[in-house]
Amino acid sequence: MSAHAFRKVLVANRGEIAVRVIRACREMGILSVAVFSEKDRAALHVRLADEALPIGPAPSRESYLRIDRVLDAARASGAEAVHPGYGFLAENAAFARACEEAGIVFIGPRSETIALMGEKTSARREAVAAGVPVVPGMLEPLADEGEIAREAERIGYPVMLKAAAGGGGKGLRLVASPAELRPALARARSEAGGAFGDERVYLEKAIVRPRHVEIQVLADHHGHAVHLFERECSIQRRHQKVIEESPSPLLTPGLRERMGELAVALVKRTGYVNAGTLEFLVDEGRDPWFLEMNTRLQVEHPVTEMVTGIDVVKAQIRIAQGEPLAFRQEDLRQRGHSIECRVYAEDPDAGFLPSPGTILALRVPSGPGVRDDSGVYEGWTVPIDYDPLLSKLSVWAESRDEAVRRMRRAVAEYRVVGIKTTLPLFERVLAHPAFAAGDYDTSFLDTALAAGKTRRGREVEIAVAAAAIRAYEERRAARLSPVAGPAAASAWGAAGRREAHGRRLGSQG
Amino acid sequence: MIFDATVEGRTIRVEVRGGGGRYSLSLDASPLEVDLVPIGRHFASLLVAGESHEVGIEKRPEGFVVHFPGDAVSVDLAEAARGVSAPVRRAHGPASLTAPMPGRVVRVLEAPGAEVAAGQGLVVIEAMKMENELKSPRAGRVLEVAVREGQAVEAGALLALVG
Repeated sequence: MSAHAFRKVLVANRGEIAVRVIRACREMGILSVAVFSEKDRAALHVRLADEALPIGPAPSRESYLRIDRVLDAARASGAEAVHPGYGFLAENAAFARACEEAGIVFIGPRSETIALMGEKTSARREAVAAGVPVVPGMLEPLADEGEIAREAERIGYPVMLKAAAGGGGKGLRLVASPAELRPALARARSEAGGAFGDERVYLEKAIVRPRHVEIQVLADHHGHAVHLFERECSIQRRHQKVIEESPSPLLTPGLRERMGELAVALVKRTGYVNAGTLEFLVDEGRDPWFLEMNTRLQVEHPVTEMVTGIDVVKAQIRIAQGEPLAFRQEDLRQRGHSIECRVYAEDPDAGFLPSPGTILALRVPSGPGVRDDSGVYEGWTVPIDYDPLLSKLSVWAESRDEAVRRMRRAVAEYRVVGIKTTLPLFERVLAHPAFAAGDYDTSFLDTALAAGKTRRGREVEIAVAAAAIRAYEERRAARLSPVAGPAAASAWGAAGRREAHGRRLGSQG
Repeated sequence: MIFDATVEGRTIRVEVRGGGGRYSLSLDASPLEVDLVPIGRHFASLLVAGESHEVGIEKRPEGFVVHFPGDAVSVDLAEAARGVSAPVRRAHGPASLTAPMPGRVVRVLEAPGAEVAAGQGLVVIEAMKMENELKSPRAGRVLEVAVREGQAVEAGALLALVG
């Protein structure tokens, strides 16, 4: 494949990841084309892109998931390539094939590879063939309930029920005993059907107290494949990652090397091209078990970028342009330590209930070693229609201990007013002795949350003082000057009048 | 000016005097000198006995939510001088289930007349690609279901009444 630099790339996504890809394009001198739904006209990715085209109404199935509309936008804009980000159409083999057929480069693996590795049981068969250990369980989905029950007995309880087309924790059920199998099967099938349009499920042995560790890979069109080491992703809620770090505090140099070699073996066997991630569970005896492959850019790629110095998104674009990888495995090193916290519009004190709404005020941390990959801004209304990820806060430092301290500092600087976010959760996790010791598994977050929070008496005092002074200034301003004017006692007094005035107008209308 | 501030279930009598950024407060009769500068509409810098605190401030119908780095504290305020008392939450009588966020009603799980336990699911609302089962605030009979399946609701909208 001969190398050909892209002039224009369409970004088939929204939110922080669309912004991330647009930034890479801008730095590479490539024109970027954003697509947007009716809700997203004023979204950050639209504001930052060189060009932007509407692709339909708010629901994603009528916009961001519409292969025809995304391709029409690509053709209309003259983009030579499409970057799918993650989610939406990123792991949709039909979309990759449609791009291939339209003569537009899909920045990712070939459509056959997406199909092969996207179906979870065929990915498991490929892994077995490449000599990669897989979690004991079925290599084919089964339909018959009796057969599934017999298979569960053979594997041994506890077992995990999983959607064959799965991902993102949907259709996933832990089954501890035979009595739970039947209802769990019904729920898993209905969830999988709803999420993926495919009800098929399979069984795996449930690993007790697992760590979730994944390996980032890059492969070009010239037969070169490397791994960019691991990411530790065991801090999860509802099987979705909240905090990631690299290196993993769990891995020994020997285990790291072995997992990297296994990942590259699977990549070479399947003829995989572009960026991908192999997810493993590591059990209490530190044995890795292949779980699944994500055939796309991963949300948590910044931690890999910070410790390796490789820009994963630019590497994706260069690979898609037909360039050979500019480095070999022996050129790559992990330097220092990186942590990422995912800032979601969710209330951690109310079971992670979504919290869409308008961001009234926003202060983003900065300073040494801090990176914020955001898709939002002050004044933006976070819509109810899409994923609640607002931004990813990442830090780099020379050691893990310093990285934890730096993240605590950055979290303390980060303020979002107007909607609830997962920010308050991070301080609780980062300050936890088990996290500081690097000794945690995928059940950590539930345990940390159950421990509750401690509030200092001083904060209550300061809160009461701040609230009372504001109320005092608003009332004084309202009494001094019933109409807004130069006599305004303070910014807050004026603000209070505007708000009161607005409410009056609202109640009349 | 005197306020009754309700925070974490207890009420504190607060007196505020001063202006121009310098305030003398008393919190349940214990004095507190505060230097406060607003930073835009939603932040404030406070100097209290040499300590520097920066907080986010969000207005709510009952008062304010004050944001700290790892936490947010809800402060309900009533002006005591006008004889308006702090809002008291009713412990008896019908309890309402309201939408904690805007979203779409996916399912109504219980019809009016149904006997429900405290914490039993009443309405499922979808927001941000997730379905959230909203639970009965108390045990009793469903008196009213205020929404239909498929309906869009705003935050704070009444969903059901249980008595």
